[in-house]
Amino acid sequence: MLTVEGLTKYFHTQSGTVHSVDGVSLTVSRGETLGLVGESGCGKTTTGRTIIRLYEPDKGCIIFDGHDITHMNQRELLPFRKRIQMIFQDPYASLNPRMTAGDIIREPMIVHHVPKDEHTDRVNHLLKLVGLNTEQAGRYPHEFSGGQRQRIGIARALAAEPEMIICDEPISALDVSIQAQIVNMLEDLQKSLGLTYLFIAHDLSMVRHISTRVAVMYLGSIVEIAGSDELYTNPLHPYTVSLLSSVPIPDPEKSSQRKIIPLKGEIPSAINPPSGCKFHTRCPNAKPECKTITQILQDKGNNHLCACPFV
Amino acid sequence: MMTEEILRVENLRTTFTTSAGEVKAVEGVSFTVNRGEVLGIAGESGSGKSATMLSIMGLLGDAGRISYDSLSFMGENLTPESVKSIRGDKIAMIFQDPMTSLNPVLSVGYQLEEALRRHKWQGNIHGRVAEMMTRVGIVPADERMRQYPHEFSGGQRQRLMIAMSILCSPELLIADEPTTALDVTVQAQILGLLREIRKDTGMSMILITHDLGVIAGESDRVIVMYGGRIMEEGTSREIFGSPSHPYTRGLLHSLPKADGKRERLIPIEGQPPDLLNPPEGCPFVKRCNEAMRICLRRKPEALTLSETHKYSCWKGAEESC
Ligand SMILES: Nc1ncnc2c1ncn2[C@@H]1O[C@H](COP(=O)(O)OP(=O)(O)OP(=O)(O)O)[C@@H](O)[C@H]1O
Ligand SMILES: Nc1ncnc2c1ncn2[C@@H]1O[C@H](COP(=O)(O)OP(=O)(O)OP(=O)(O)O)[C@@H](O)[C@H]1O
Ligand code: SF4
Ligand SMILES: [Mg+2]
Ligand SMILES: [Mg+2]
Repeated sequence: MLTVEGLTKYFHTQSGTVHSVDGVSLTVSRGETLGLVGESGCGKTTTGRTIIRLYEPDKGCIIFDGHDITHMNQRELLPFRKRIQMIFQDPYASLNPRMTAGDIIREPMIVHHVPKDEHTDRVNHLLKLVGLNTEQAGRYPHEFSGGQRQRIGIARALAAEPEMIICDEPISALDVSIQAQIVNMLEDLQKSLGLTYLFIAHDLSMVRHISTRVAVMYLGSIVEIAGSDELYTNPLHPYTVSLLSSVPIPDPEKSSQRKIIPLKGEIPSAINPPSGCKFHTRCPNAKPECKTITQILQDKGNNHLCACPFV
Repeated sequence: MMTEEILRVENLRTTFTTSAGEVKAVEGVSFTVNRGEVLGIAGESGSGKSATMLSIMGLLGDAGRISYDSLSFMGENLTPESVKSIRGDKIAMIFQDPMTSLNPVLSVGYQLEEALRRHKWQGNIHGRVAEMMTRVGIVPADERMRQYPHEFSGGQRQRLMIAMSILCSPELLIADEPTTALDVTVQAQILGLLREIRKDTGMSMILITHDLGVIAGESDRVIVMYGGRIMEEGTSREIFGSPSHPYTRGLLHSLPKADGKRERLIPIEGQPPDLLNPPEGCPFVKRCNEAMRICLRRKPEALTLSETHKYSCWKGAEESC
């Protein structure tokens, strides 16, 4: 469904060039969920935004359903904009405060020329689909809770009838009890509408739950991709190993038994990322060669790709 | 080990006056903290966790009013006046957002030294600050003291806050979501650091977080709050091993299975209560799948399951009679 090859996005700022996304390659098959995890600032949002061409890629290509959309102009892009939608990270900032929930959900229908007489029915249908009621269509974003706002964002993404949705931290801002509601809803929608997801998140246990495969990102590059259970039970890259060991376990007994493998130092700046394997400055297994190797994902068997040549 | 109680709170109530009406943020909360222990406080956003701590510390500001039956720290009654002298000294607090707690235009060294001066620290102020910065891994301390908050990462700023909070060797540290804004790897560093400090000093800690994994890993005892009240209280093992309140059970069911089994999650349906118009009976009644008619009308009393394990629910009360 989606193939991204060597995707690169740099931002030129006053303090220097930020290597936000640096040669990211990944594929997402139709109907699956690819999880994308990694520390704050590693480039997850930028990857998502570049894939849907909100940012212009500097290098690499984006193939959606067999079409190379990397260099398409806005007009050529329009049909693809309809087919891939994004749910944005912040449910508070991503909804226009002066528009009602109904208008927010209606907007993509106008952009994508859905016949006007169908709008109201479809808005009502979408509201019900995401667990809101139709009377709430006239209310403004501030009159909804965080979880409800996230549902409006999802309804807006669904309004264009997309085939794929890039979900950027759709649950991070929500209470635990509400997170499960949204995750179940995303799973139900995937089943009933045949959706494909790229699911970006911090919460590694939720990512395991929802994803078919998971990609781990560090400083703009993907260091490991594998099937969800394979990655969590058999992590190979030293960064993934450390990351997974740090995930809190909601069980006091198990929590006291496991061993956290701490990362030394701080995450380096994306303005001057380390040479070779970008993780070498913090890697517990680093060797002198790590400073000069080229980071490429290698298949270690079982469709398990890892960028560290020494595992 | 003998348990020595250092903080006691009985029947605390906190009300905010807002343009929309009275918000009953805390409604009859009671608990104790023993020496050397970690008390974890979990609960929905808006359930009154921060308001409880700010009330105890006398930091509510003008909008809030409090009342209580008893409030004491190390055997002495806490009054709005007496709490001022021990705040930042015997009881320290770390807030959720380190950026709002550090002044952006002053060097961090100055701010830490100022904190010591405020508490009339007898001894080498510069040396003490350097020692504590080194303790939290911000090195070389002498150099880094001259830097400003924006020159530190989020994790480093949180470590600076920890350094500041332990300057005067507090007996009790109240940490309000100390790692919520941080990545899991940095979170693990910070929690590990706090654990070491506790081991060295015997300090007690109240740890507020919505992350049940963090609560499970760090706490000796746990309080679960909802709608301004304590729903359940117990040792970490009791809460996670035999959760008894429907809200606690609901929270634990909402989480993905730790073993990776992809079973459908069981969310708590509905939305948190509106504290402007709280339900007459149990605050959880609208979302509880075990609710009975009495739950709508009357607030449940606390039921005792063990010396340490209590919960407030009509369900258990009905069953036991
Ligand atoms: N518009 C921009 N201009 C300049 N730099 C940017 C811009 N957007 C992102 N960056 C930088 O690119 C890097 C990657 O940011 P990005 O938002 O993609 O990270 P992320 O993985 O989504 O992080 P988080 O988990 O915090 O959302 C960061 O160093 C960030 O500061
Ligand atoms: N200064 C204030 N003025 C008015 N209402 C307030 C004030 N501070 C808190 N509240 C209200 O009191 C209730 C409890 O808030 P509190 O900050 O204690 O929640 P919390 O449990 O700490 O939540 P969170 O997990 O989001 O930090 C909320 O309904 C909140 O809106
Ligand atoms: S190359 Fe070195 S630093 Fe990179 S992943 Fe492998 S061991 Fe770690
Ligand atoms: Mg992001
Ligand atoms: Mg709070």
